[in-house]
Amino acid sequence: MSKVKVFLVVFVTILLIGVAGITFSQKDIPIHVRLNMMVAGDQNMVDFFQYEIAPVFEKLYPNVRVNVVGTGPGPAGSRAIIQKLQLEKQSGKAKWDIDVAIVHEIGAAWAMKDDLLKKYTDFLVAKRLVTRGTDKMALGVNVDGYVMPMFHSQTAIAYNPDYVKNPPRSYEELVKWVKEHPGKFGYNGIKHGASGISFTAGWLYWKSGQIDILTKGPYDKKYEKNWKSIFTDLKEFNKYVTMTSGNAGTLDALNRGEIYMGPVWVDMFYTWMREGRMDPKIKLLLPAPGMPGQPMHYVIPKKAANADYALKLIELVSSPKMQAKYIVDRFNWYPAIGDQYVKPYVSKETLGRLYRDITPEDLLKYGKPFPLTGYFEDMLEAYEKYTE
Amino acid sequence: MGTYENKNNLFGFLLILPALAVLGVLYIYPLIRAIYISFLWKGQLGLENYTKAFALYRKDIVYTLGITAATVIIVFAVSMVIASYLRFKNWKFLDYMYRLPLFIPFLIVGHAMRVFLAQHGVMNMIISRLTGIHRLPGLASQWLGLTLAFAWVLSPFAILIILGAFKAIDDSYVEAALNLGSNKFKVIIDVLIPLARPSIMVALVLTFVRTISSLTIPLMVGPSKPTMLPVDMMFRVNYYNDWGVANALGVISYVIVIGLSMYYLRFMVTERGGLKH
Repeated sequence: MSKVKVFLVVFVTILLIGVAGITFSQKDIPIHVRLNMMVAGDQNMVDFFQYEIAPVFEKLYPNVRVNVVGTGPGPAGSRAIIQKLQLEKQSGKAKWDIDVAIVHEIGAAWAMKDDLLKKYTDFLVAKRLVTRGTDKMALGVNVDGYVMPMFHSQTAIAYNPDYVKNPPRSYEELVKWVKEHPGKFGYNGIKHGASGISFTAGWLYWKSGQIDILTKGPYDKKYEKNWKSIFTDLKEFNKYVTMTSGNAGTLDALNRGEIYMGPVWVDMFYTWMREGRMDPKIKLLLPAPGMPGQPMHYVIPKKAANADYALKLIELVSSPKMQAKYIVDRFNWYPAIGDQYVKPYVSKETLGRLYRDITPEDLLKYGKPFPLTGYFEDMLEAYEKYTE
Repeated sequence: MGTYENKNNLFGFLLILPALAVLGVLYIYPLIRAIYISFLWKGQLGLENYTKAFALYRKDIVYTLGITAATVIIVFAVSMVIASYLRFKNWKFLDYMYRLPLFIPFLIVGHAMRVFLAQHGVMNMIISRLTGIHRLPGLASQWLGLTLAFAWVLSPFAILIILGAFKAIDDSYVEAALNLGSNKFKVIIDVLIPLARPSIMVALVLTFVRTISSLTIPLMVGPSKPTMLPVDMMFRVNYYNDWGVANALGVISYVIVIGLSMYYLRFMVTERGGLKH
């Protein structure tokens, strides 16, 4: 009898708390919202939003349910999101299904061209903390007001100090080193991951000496006149190089000692290192005149049904504390907002790791954007034509 | 009688209609569309996509054909040996083990082979320990490694089909040959293979098609250039949004496969005709 009583008391209490919770939390805003989020990125990014950010956000706004859909990594992921927005625009609907999306720079550029985005950052506090200027231009397209960066990723050259005592500090020195140590520099070409594309872009920046035109415009074929020789030189360079199988392939080859140097994504490098999958001796450097990196951007579609909550979500994840906890500590990306705002909240261990080899000054000097879309595509095709 | 047959035909047609519809929607329509898009260049019909495909990917077409042919040859050799052995000897362990790769997804195979065949990978480490030779080439980034990966994952299919055909051949043929003084090797060459020829052809055609259409394995194993056509197709779409050239490459693969199918069909027809049942 008493067991039943205890059970009843517990049951009723739970019920009461539940009812109270529902009534109190939704008392002032009795509207249910399903916030649809589309993410161009790996599954870990989708999980991050669905299982870590969504619960935090839903606690703050109990009438909201966040629904995260992933479209896959790389430009293809962004393309899927933009195509969906184009379809919504063509359908002529008053309200679109997607409330907030995370896209690559190229996705933001495509979306601007088709007028698919809402201008929202006037209402975003975090916008005041952005320092790198990536919120203004994306691959030569003016996106100011339409995007908020989520993080910055960067490519760099990883090297094993056991074998490379005086690492080359520029592409010029690298070429010399590679000729002296044939087969000990490895990268993955352009079809097996973006770290190879990034290395190629750096090569183009160095050989052409036109970083500004390539990254800021204007786009004009007349600047591509000497590309044939630039990419034929790269073909010559490739003769002394080991071709690896993908971004992970380069890291693996470094670990196994097959190569001593190679271009990698900084976040992937440090994540592997934290997980114990990377030889802890291996270090990073950013060679002159620079290698590309890129942000990913939060965007709100032009006719998003729940733009208000979308803005609140972006505000939530862009605060210095959240950036420190997730973007820097967890994913080893560089923060979207100024490093100085985030640093006080980052764990000492991460801080030592992330800024050990590449200082914030290096990043400002040698961390470059990718070339404008036009140059980017021409670059890949020139590589296919003259280098492969 | 006529009406009964018509009714029966209609009923039969209705029975296969769902399958036909799926085939039409998911295969025939996309095929026609792919061919159409491959001729579409900036909104107009023309051959530009093919010009570009041949200009940029000529080597890759030849390479794809070469890898595919090499894979088929290795798969043929391996499956012949294992199927013949299992036809005469009932070795349970081998009977189970050869099927193992069937259950492993291509993605995992690609990753495993990349680690296994690397320059300082598992295979070379074992060879180095055993032989004392330390400077070994990394097969993972060579065409040979790619071919081995394909052969490893595709052989079980071929063995399964061919062994089935071998077992279906009545023992009396084999015994007759053996009684007349033939050895087992000759029995395989002169009795088993000729009688199982249609099944062997099916196995090899399937191997060919699966190799030429594989994306994940060449993404992870093999040289970064030249590369297999599916990798190029993905690259055209992902980085240039260029469906024209991607579809042109797809149509080129189709033509290669169709060429093979024509040969196979003609072979089947003469085979049937020759047997005169």
